Amino acid sequence: MTHSTRRHFFGKSASGIGVAALASLFQKDGHAAPALEGLPHFAPKAKRVIFLHQSGGPSQMDLFDYKPKLQSLKGSELPDSIRMGQRITGMTSGQSSLPVAASVFKFEKRGQTGSWMSELVPWQGKIADDMCLIRSVHTDAINHDPAITFIQSGSQQPGRPSLGSWVSYGLGSENQNMPAFVVLLSQQHSLNVDQPLFSRLWGSGFLPSNHQGVRFRGGSEPVLYLEDPAGLNKSSRRNILDAVGALNKMHQQDFGDPEIATRIEQYEMAYRMQTSVPDLMDLSKEPESTFELYGPEARKPGSYAANCLLARRLAERNVRFIQLYHRGWDQHNDLPRDLALQCKGTDQPSAALVMDLKQRGLLDETLVVWGGEFGRTVYCQGKLTDTNYGRDHHPRNFAMWMAGGGIKPGAQIGATDDYSYNITEDPVHVHDIQATILHCLGIDHKRLTFKFQGRHFRLTDVHGELVKKALA
Amino acid sequence: MPFYAAAFLLAAAAVTPSKPVDFDREIRPILSDHCFACHGPDDGNRKAGIRFDQKEAVIGKTIIPGDPAKSRLFVRMSHEKAGMRMPPANFPRQPNAQQIETVKKWIEQGAEWKTHWAYQPPKPQTPPATASKWVRNGIDNFVLARLEKENLKPSPEAPKTTLLRRLSLDLTGLPPTAAEIKAFLADKSPNAYEKQVDRLLASPHYGERMAMQWLDLARYADTHGYHIDSHRDMWPWRDWVIRAFNNNMSYDRFTIEQLAGDLLPNPTKDQLIATGFNRNHMINYEGGAIPEEYLVEYVADRVDTTSNVWMAMTMGCARCHDHKYDPIKQADFYKFFAFFNTVAEKGLDGTMGNAAPMMQLPDDTQKKQLDEVNAAIARREAQLAPAKVDELYNAWEAKLPPPDLAGPESLRKNLQFHYDFEGNLLDTSGRYRHAKAVSGDPAFNTSGVGRGIDFDGSTVLVSTGPAEVAAPFTLAFWLRFNQQKETTVMRRGTQFEVWYEKPVVFSRHRRFATLHIDIGANRYQSKEMLPFGEMKHVAIVSANDASLKLYVAGVEMPLERIGPASPVSRLQSIEPLEISPITKRARFKGQIDDLRLYSRVITNDEVYQLAIHQQEPPVLAIPKAKRSKAQNDYLREYFLTQFAPTELKEANADLKRLKERKGDLEDQIPSTMVMQEAEKPRETFILARGDYRNATQKVEPQVPGVLPPLPTGAKANRLALAKWLTDSNHPLTARVAVNRFWQMYFGLGIVKTSEDFGSQGEPPSHPEMLDWLAVNFVKSGWDVKALQRLIVTSATYRQSSKVTPQLLEADPQNRLLARMSRFRLSAEVLRDNALAISGLLNGEVGGRSVYPYQPAGLWEELAYGDRFTAQTYTPSTGKDLYRRSMYWFWKRTVPPATLATFDAPDREKCTSRRAVTNTPLQALILLNDPTYIEAARALATNAINASPDAAKRVSAAFLAATGREPSAQESKILRDLAARELDTYSKDQKAAEAFLAIGESKYDSKKLKPAELAAWTTVASAILNMDEVVTKE
Repeated sequence: MTHSTRRHFFGKSASGIGVAALASLFQKDGHAAPALEGLPHFAPKAKRVIFLHQSGGPSQMDLFDYKPKLQSLKGSELPDSIRMGQRITGMTSGQSSLPVAASVFKFEKRGQTGSWMSELVPWQGKIADDMCLIRSVHTDAINHDPAITFIQSGSQQPGRPSLGSWVSYGLGSENQNMPAFVVLLSQQHSLNVDQPLFSRLWGSGFLPSNHQGVRFRGGSEPVLYLEDPAGLNKSSRRNILDAVGALNKMHQQDFGDPEIATRIEQYEMAYRMQTSVPDLMDLSKEPESTFELYGPEARKPGSYAANCLLARRLAERNVRFIQLYHRGWDQHNDLPRDLALQCKGTDQPSAALVMDLKQRGLLDETLVVWGGEFGRTVYCQGKLTDTNYGRDHHPRNFAMWMAGGGIKPGAQIGATDDYSYNITEDPVHVHDIQATILHCLGIDHKRLTFKFQGRHFRLTDVHGELVKKALA
Repeated sequence: MPFYAAAFLLAAAAVTPSKPVDFDREIRPILSDHCFACHGPDDGNRKAGIRFDQKEAVIGKTIIPGDPAKSRLFVRMSHEKAGMRMPPANFPRQPNAQQIETVKKWIEQGAEWKTHWAYQPPKPQTPPATASKWVRNGIDNFVLARLEKENLKPSPEAPKTTLLRRLSLDLTGLPPTAAEIKAFLADKSPNAYEKQVDRLLASPHYGERMAMQWLDLARYADTHGYHIDSHRDMWPWRDWVIRAFNNNMSYDRFTIEQLAGDLLPNPTKDQLIATGFNRNHMINYEGGAIPEEYLVEYVADRVDTTSNVWMAMTMGCARCHDHKYDPIKQADFYKFFAFFNTVAEKGLDGTMGNAAPMMQLPDDTQKKQLDEVNAAIARREAQLAPAKVDELYNAWEAKLPPPDLAGPESLRKNLQFHYDFEGNLLDTSGRYRHAKAVSGDPAFNTSGVGRGIDFDGSTVLVSTGPAEVAAPFTLAFWLRFNQQKETTVMRRGTQFEVWYEKPVVFSRHRRFATLHIDIGANRYQSKEMLPFGEMKHVAIVSANDASLKLYVAGVEMPLERIGPASPVSRLQSIEPLEISPITKRARFKGQIDDLRLYSRVITNDEVYQLAIHQQEPPVLAIPKAKRSKAQNDYLREYFLTQFAPTELKEANADLKRLKERKGDLEDQIPSTMVMQEAEKPRETFILARGDYRNATQKVEPQVPGVLPPLPTGAKANRLALAKWLTDSNHPLTARVAVNRFWQMYFGLGIVKTSEDFGSQGEPPSHPEMLDWLAVNFVKSGWDVKALQRLIVTSATYRQSSKVTPQLLEADPQNRLLARMSRFRLSAEVLRDNALAISGLLNGEVGGRSVYPYQPAGLWEELAYGDRFTAQTYTPSTGKDLYRRSMYWFWKRTVPPATLATFDAPDREKCTSRRAVTNTPLQALILLNDPTYIEAARALATNAINASPDAAKRVSAAFLAATGREPSAQESKILRDLAARELDTYSKDQKAAEAFLAIGESKYDSKKLKPAELAAWTTVASAILNMDEVVTKE
């Protein structure tokens, strides 16, 4: 069967009829949703992705991009030879001066690989030899909305499917009782008010809506209306479902529409989710050692640490794409205080997740990605003092890391100039990161397409090169 | 897999030698999909100078009609050497053997070339003749002719009950009532069905139903979409659309008024409102964003939307380069862009609601009130003429003693502690009772009184040393609160607490809260409310146990005592004052500054000193000549409030009240965004790679070259464009409109890709019928209702939707229409259906958007904070909970969650087709969402009231939900459920009561037994979850 024939049928789902009829055909092999015909394109290294998105733009030169020369340049004006006409945001374009702010944080070499990292990320230092650290990522956008939309959907403007929904569409789900694409949100540790998020970031764009990410929320009801209503006990729920099932079955015999059979199946899956999701969220059986590893905050539902732990539990359940968002990285001012708070809340759980996956033998088949939507400027936003400074958005270079399935452990990629302002070695575009993520999953980013408005759209638009140096 | 096999057979059947290959349907898609990317219309990226998109470049050159072996196109496509084969191996979309064979056949048959069908004006058609009695109107002739070609027969007519339910859902989005079903079943006249059609077309809900599709196309929403995504008001435009459909406005007028109503001579208010169509796009004001970038995005969105809605053209593809598949040049995109690039708008706007240009829409009462307030303001201002005030003020200041630079010495007397929060927690009273943070990390930011301390919900401060809050004492501080819930600001032990009630929303920008002071057993509340989000000075002064005074902004605000007075005992404990403590109320969010505790009563004058203590040094110390305007205004205000003659004092106070009243009034008056030409319209340039920074060649407004030109002589503006679109010779407008209406009924359009009529779109399943419908639509004067009538009165529409195995195999997508399509109700109709079945529906048409049930926190977890609108979701109460779903407040970054689960789009971009998915998350909503539980209870109540007999109850509920009587077996299943659940709930009264408490409406507990109602609610819930009920059959 050719790819186009297959797409012909998937096209149906967007047109109003029959996707479920089709889905039911594919459910024989026990998959909740099938992979596209012909996918994966080649043998995958990773079965799933955990994307730890750090929303706001973590400061690369205070965390991963060591710039010792800045100490002597502190307070000096950013030279035009470095800025090279780069556009800057409306927040600092009115500043009369762009003084260089050196990091107040100490750096040291970590791991066998000798990767320079700051004192704010001691735990991530412990996984230096597991991760591939890329210091030369760059993006096209300079403000939050377009930049985060870009890294999550490949386009600065809304309307495209998110990374997770592309993966769900392409590879389907391997768990009958869980969605293929799960989203977990946590709130900032810093004190300044942070940036908003948008559900388009995990939306399905023009792909069928069953590929949109499903938010699992902290608290008693992780999935929308998962719980039976008050006063309805489990056996009454079963009785209602049985009655609905019997009525639907009779109707299907009369009408012959396979969509009805699918609906019957979906109701049963909903019923199973009422057990499988609370079971996933229930951390009471985790041993004490788990909370030592992830930190005590992991006991607090909805915290970043708890979400990292949940990410591992979702990975154990074969969920295809696990997307975390953590807010609070937008340090326009009071960076030394707020960045330290952010790291205090995120450093340990981020590293713990990788360690935990490794000790369970899951890291080889799970790709973990850490990073924000852009970096921060070397010049100070607001008043520069010896102990305080702020930094504006910087799209020209920032740091991300990946670890696990398909990734070369201990690799360090890319370099920037003394100001951490321009890339001097191995530029990696956001589309390249996206292409590489898909590659680890066995997907050729140029061949995972969906026809909409006459165009064969893909995640990486018409761009994207594999980051070969990152691959194992 | 039988599906694929069937599809393959269908495709194969099309190329048997007996059938000529159809260029539009079979050849162009192959060329477009596999060749145009490198050999198509894009001048910038054409390889080897070869193109396959134009007849003159192909026929006789790369294709020799009748001779595949000499046709290079075919030779290269079928080349045995991989290195020579086209498209190259690395091209992601390779043609299959079947397609290559089709190309060969086409060349053998003479390689007939046609210009793309959609760019030719539709041709008048005569419906194929037939002797069949099945046929009711022309549609059926076309459908039958095609079915006969495929050896298929139409399905029998659906039963009357199914027909009425289908028709009602299609024309109004609501199911028929039991009475309507009864009347229709009783009507034996030959035109009984047509009478129902006319009744439904005349219903006010018809306009709502038609508008639903239009709102998706027009990307209508109640928020701006980008970043902070705050509130906007476009519902006057939404209501205009509903009215337009209800009044059967002709489609050409509908088009002209929305695209260019403002350019019509002497436009009416409605014609201006209509232009909101092209202001529905997203608008940004993210801090730091670059205005020029977003101006381009807004206009590009208008191009995408307008070209898509009226022409099903994908012009957006030509923004960065020439279109790869269709004959649209990059210059065409920017020439079209130029029509919409002339609006008087800003790149970053919308912080306070609508973005200019907009129009205010006061009703008559509001207009009158506004006039009155304006007149009163003018009178007061005359009374407070600057010259007169200045004279009095100067006389007053001249008599003042020299200012005391340190401020009144008295304000340091009996000071227990004083935190100025200038970046630290030090006590400046001289007693060293510094404050300390027991949790959180304090942040100090500009407060308007120097720096103040921010509270984000995590910081808790305590004073060191005792805080005596027994008479006499004074506690004074600056306060701004941003927490939306009932909140404790400060307290001391259990004896003293300052808190405020959940803020009341007066209008979008004005929220207020009542302040409470609990001291000992005495409880007080402020008689007036304090403004949310504004820094105000607050002083609490107690002379003795029986008295407590509150001052806000230096002026006494009356307090109301709740409950009896009781003496306050001076506790011996040494409890500190806690600021932003953890209590049963929500954590404090906002700012506090200059906190002082005195162990005495301070005078009115001293309170005022504190409240105006804003600048350092005191303004009066600044020589008159050096004062700024703000400082002068400040002093004049000080004088007018405190020391002016009574008459002026009153006039001043009154003026302030009037201005507030005016603000409130203006806030209540709705506005709506409109199109309006800028005085100096922006010039338009081609933007290289679509980037706003790369302006190249200047262009003027013009339509794409592949379509007929604008009439000569007309000024090339939006009005000319709208008239051009609705010209009877336009190849696309009528076809595209007809096709979208068709899609509403049959799930798929005649052209399945209703958003793309270009070469990458699917060719029409019934091209002649599409043209026949389009030509007659124009001929009818673009009569929209007549078109709907034509479709729903056809025999094609009236068929049964039953699916036989044969039909499923031969035509799984029902493109040939041998049956009626059967699909799940849209997200909005699904909920409206449940509300209507249960009798809960509030059928009010139009107005401001509403907030039905939604789990708490869905907005807040993604939102920006409290300072902007539409960041917190407060559910409606009362009848607004039961409005139709199209009135649900649509926040783009968090669209109504249950609607999104049922495939509603986020409305960020124009949407022409929705997916129809079938997921477990949908089942959870239908089973557990309070909307559906409450509807089930209401439906159960009606069933119980209908009869004491179980079978009759089942029938009543079943009929309301499906439009038909249940079969004996269906009835038994539901009666068994009722019996089982009655047994369960009879044993557990508490569970029954909990189950019945869901939702805001109450049941009649005097008339109905909880166990019985709960049991029947489960039955009703089962009914509402039936596939048949959520499906249009």
